[in-house]
Amino acid sequence: MFLPDFDYYAPSDLQEACDLLRNLGPRAKVLAGGTDLLVKMKSGLLAPEALVSLKALDELKKIEYVSGKGVVIGGRATHNDLVDSPVLHEHFLSISEAAHQMANNQIRNRGTVAGNLVNAIPSADLPPILIALGADITLVGSKVSRTVPLDSFFTGPSCCVIDPEDEILTEIVIPEQDTTGSTYIKFGLRRSGALAVTGVAAAVTMDGDVIVDSRICLGAVFRVPVRAHDAEDLLRGKTWSDELLTEAGEAAACCALPIDDIRGTAEYRLDLVRVLTGRALRKAITEGHV
Amino acid sequence: MSGTETQNYAVIGKSVPKIDGRDKITGAARYTADLKFPNMLFGKILTSPHAHARILSIDTSEAEKIPGVKAVVTHKDAPTLKYGISPARWDENIFCIDTVKFVGDKVAAVACIDEETCYKALAAIKVEYEVLPAVLDPLRARDEDQPQIHPEFERNINAEIHQDFGDIEEAFRAAHYVRTDTFVGNRTYQTPIEPHTATSMWDGDKLTVYSSTQSPHYFQYYIAREFGLPMGNVRVLKTYVGGGFGGKLEPTGLEFGGAVLAKITGRPVKMFYDRAEMFAHNRGRHRQYMTLTTGVDEKGKILGVHADFIMDGGAYTSLGIATAYYAGAMLTLTYEFDHFRFDMFRVYTNLPACGAQRGHGAPQPRYAFEAHLDNIAKHLGIDPMDIRILNARRPNTVTPNEFAVNSCEMKACLEQARVLSGWDEKKGKLPKGRGIGVATGSFVTGAGYPIYRTDLPHAAAMIKVGEDGTSATLYTGAVDIGQGSDTILCQMAAEAMGYTYEQMKIVAADTETTPHDFGAYASRQTLMSGAAVKQAGEEVKKQLLEVAAEELDFPVSDLDVRSGVVFSPADPNVTMPFADVARRHFVTRGPLVGKGSYTPPKLGGTFKGAPVGTSPAYSFAAQVSEVQIDEETGEVTVLDVWDVHDCGTVINPSLLHAQVHGALFMGMGESIWEEVKFDDKGRILNPNLSEYRLPTALDMPRIHSSLVDSYEPAGPWGVKEVGEGATLPTMGCLRNAIFDAMGVSVNSLPLGYEKVWRALKDKREEAGSQKAG
Amino acid sequence: MGTITDKQGVQRYIVDLMVNGDPHTVVIKGNTLLVNVLRDELDLTGTKKGCETGDCGSCTILLDGKPVDACLVLAAEADGCEITTIEGVAQHGELDRLQKSFLDNAAVQCGYCSPGMIMSAKALLTRNPNPSEHEVRKAIGGNLCRCTGYVNIVKAVLAVAEEEAR
Repeated sequence: MFLPDFDYYAPSDLQEACDLLRNLGPRAKVLAGGTDLLVKMKSGLLAPEALVSLKALDELKKIEYVSGKGVVIGGRATHNDLVDSPVLHEHFLSISEAAHQMANNQIRNRGTVAGNLVNAIPSADLPPILIALGADITLVGSKVSRTVPLDSFFTGPSCCVIDPEDEILTEIVIPEQDTTGSTYIKFGLRRSGALAVTGVAAAVTMDGDVIVDSRICLGAVFRVPVRAHDAEDLLRGKTWSDELLTEAGEAAACCALPIDDIRGTAEYRLDLVRVLTGRALRKAITEGHV
Repeated sequence: MSGTETQNYAVIGKSVPKIDGRDKITGAARYTADLKFPNMLFGKILTSPHAHARILSIDTSEAEKIPGVKAVVTHKDAPTLKYGISPARWDENIFCIDTVKFVGDKVAAVACIDEETCYKALAAIKVEYEVLPAVLDPLRARDEDQPQIHPEFERNINAEIHQDFGDIEEAFRAAHYVRTDTFVGNRTYQTPIEPHTATSMWDGDKLTVYSSTQSPHYFQYYIAREFGLPMGNVRVLKTYVGGGFGGKLEPTGLEFGGAVLAKITGRPVKMFYDRAEMFAHNRGRHRQYMTLTTGVDEKGKILGVHADFIMDGGAYTSLGIATAYYAGAMLTLTYEFDHFRFDMFRVYTNLPACGAQRGHGAPQPRYAFEAHLDNIAKHLGIDPMDIRILNARRPNTVTPNEFAVNSCEMKACLEQARVLSGWDEKKGKLPKGRGIGVATGSFVTGAGYPIYRTDLPHAAAMIKVGEDGTSATLYTGAVDIGQGSDTILCQMAAEAMGYTYEQMKIVAADTETTPHDFGAYASRQTLMSGAAVKQAGEEVKKQLLEVAAEELDFPVSDLDVRSGVVFSPADPNVTMPFADVARRHFVTRGPLVGKGSYTPPKLGGTFKGAPVGTSPAYSFAAQVSEVQIDEETGEVTVLDVWDVHDCGTVINPSLLHAQVHGALFMGMGESIWEEVKFDDKGRILNPNLSEYRLPTALDMPRIHSSLVDSYEPAGPWGVKEVGEGATLPTMGCLRNAIFDAMGVSVNSLPLGYEKVWRALKDKREEAGSQKAG
Repeated sequence: MGTITDKQGVQRYIVDLMVNGDPHTVVIKGNTLLVNVLRDELDLTGTKKGCETGDCGSCTILLDGKPVDACLVLAAEADGCEITTIEGVAQHGELDRLQKSFLDNAAVQCGYCSPGMIMSAKALLTRNPNPSEHEVRKAIGGNLCRCTGYVNIVKAVLAVAEEEAR
């Protein structure tokens, strides 16, 4: 295999990076970890004439807690940065745990959060848990920057609202919240190096046994990571029980519209949504960590 | 080998470290792709994007103009003799001439100054195709309306086998219960981690090929034939090989095409497959459709078996004619019965050719038979372990297809597996979702007949003791592809010579410097290469003791040598170091050299196909596995596997158990995770290691490998095979464990999570509808 | 990172790498992969290529101490980085105890995955000298082996940890 020719840029600050993107236009792609981009280029799916590397932008690697704002994750943080982050362990352990289920160790050391989001693959592991936890993302362009709820970031397989000729995903903000439990359950076909056949994230706010509120997000079963609003509505204000979780699973399956692919049929995925939603909710409710 | 006998040996029976271990863990080991030669070019093959198409034209002119492109070749530049495993089925060309027959078929090749230029050159070659209808469904391949892939093979029948032993109709008439089941196998791929590579270079009329090969000799034979060279003008050798498992047993376009490019450019050319090209070249496991009918008496004793199979051979014969015969032949080994019928069609399809993968032809039929036998046991209300023990083959018996079995501890393997796994405490008593299964396997210890028609011995060896006696070098054509043959052959040489392992050196697998050996396939080297090595070592020993007798002035009949010391069992004062004696030998008589060779005895019957499956010895194994099934998702977790093997005397226990681990791993992968999948155009959907899922370290169960005492009279020191045998029981064993856990049968491989889920769902729905009804 | 433009107008980059403690400066193209610099330019062929897509782990090296697939790292991205390859694990001809353990536990068969496997395990033991079996399996989850079923590899890594614990 080989990589097609391209020019390589490693801008030293964000402004320079955005300006480069703007100047290079559709000829350029942003290089973060490269674990997805370089594979696509080797396979001939992409042939950008220039790569703009974020290598020198160390400020994008931070993971920090900002009082009143929440946890801020830099776009260039790697998956293993999430796995190892004491800040996440304290505030949002479920994000660390989700990251730990991704790909394999070598990939987790290179692949970045921003890459995982901007690739916009429906089976990506981070979007469901980040959406369930109400994350916003910051997109910085050469002229302006903007904040977008991750929930409305994805527009289709490999499509999202970022302007690839101007913007860089710089950070993810997980706001402070009263969520009492959250988790992401991935179902893959082996225990390492597998894409999700189905992934379900759930975040719940409990008052005793009563589900005050919940957010459920499904991966790999729709064109984009999708909220299971029907299930959330069904749960709101109810005392939890096995039957209720079963019903919620069934309601979640109604929100999915999976396809048949090499990893599984739509029929199988729908049933997995049902099963995994129940399990994710149970875990979020009973294990009580966010 | 029993423990008591092992103690009589000085070198064998010990877990000495691998002779090449240090090189491999320091990065010093050079594999074929790591070799560089002055002025070397890089080469790649252009392959067909169509499953079946007529080549209308090939225009290489644009490619030739690219700077750095040194040669572009097609069939016009290459020999056009067809090749394959046997003359009746030579059906493959170096480059396609008129038609391409699968996605990946070889069309042209380039040699360039670097790898990057190769890809650019390939993209610039213009091939005009007329796309033809393709045969993609092996079950339809013989239909009248299907396209003809090879004109000389009507209805796409590559091989048709009908063998009949005893009287199967009578056996079924006499049976208490006759059952028929149908199972389907999966196309899998050997997936060595090292990609195939070959570097070819000419010196006048002499061709040298460094290749990642399992058999330099077989490569040499076919390369010489293609290029019209005497075999002496073709040197094939390997350095280190990163796994083969059957996939590197036959020459590929890399050797043939590389030789053409090297000749035209006058420079060494390094050719290599990337991972997707490896999948396309394939030669992996055939997908088999297997219908089995078995008659048993009321106690479960097997009376007769009818195996009716179809296998998808892909576009070429490759090694597949042997695979087709092996599929039926090996079914008769683990259980005794007198009546056997085997019908097989190996059909051509426009898919990559299949060949020999670990267990060659036998694992899928074994899965089918072991599943079938559990179905029979369940019907009769017999414990699956009991029905196997009842039918287990005994030593010194002959199978209905005339294989003579010497040592055989099938029953002991089963009984030990029963105890080790806690079968009786678990069977029928495990919690919900948990199941336990058993299956058996048996494999040849080397094929009784050569890989191509020849009267050459199967193995040969030479040992040269160094001038001062402080080292000895074993020269063998045997091929270490990771299994450890270099190590155990050195152990055997040292044992036979009365020398030490630590002083042994080895030169192996080079057709020019080492004596002939057929190579690494059919689990043959420990017995066959080992027999040649033993003979060579004994010849050294004999000469050494003659000199010692002179030096010590002691009768030769009273001398012996062990661990590098000549001594007399009769007189403890008589002793002399091996090295000193060897030195004296060199001074007084010249080089101290021993040689040996091995040819198996005449084996098997005289019926058509009788040679396939013959062997001087057969290994036997029983496996028990315990699984946990997620009832809602179908996810299969394999918790424990117990493998109990009868593999004769053990030369190196560590390496032996490691063979079991690896064989079992491959069997497990094929059982649950691995399958090469195609789209409706015959293109592979998963030619990569993310969607073709080898199990990872996180997927593997606890593996318990143990042995029963056994001694094989046909093998040197009583050895027989282990490296492939442990692949055989695994698929059936896991199917039976799932069957035990959930009461559902998955009748096709792999036993993937979704298939288990669907079987459970169907069962629930059936139960629901019965209740409703 | 300096750049030069060759006569064909192709941009080339001057990259500094510290490999196994040795400084190297290489001139590469933008599309040059680190694995190819190591193997072809520096002749460190212990780093293997198995899939070139980050699935097999044969090309695992330590990049600033962390195991990564060298087939998915641009050489330019490694400018200024410290790299350890399998050739840098043994010191002055003395095997690392992890390497010794691979030998002692018969963890090597064809050996093609061994360098990558050792790099992954080495990184784990540096971070966590006393890992559980699951942690070992997780650490080598990105290193495929076709020969061993991982049995003896896991055993070899755990043996080093046990030795450490004593």
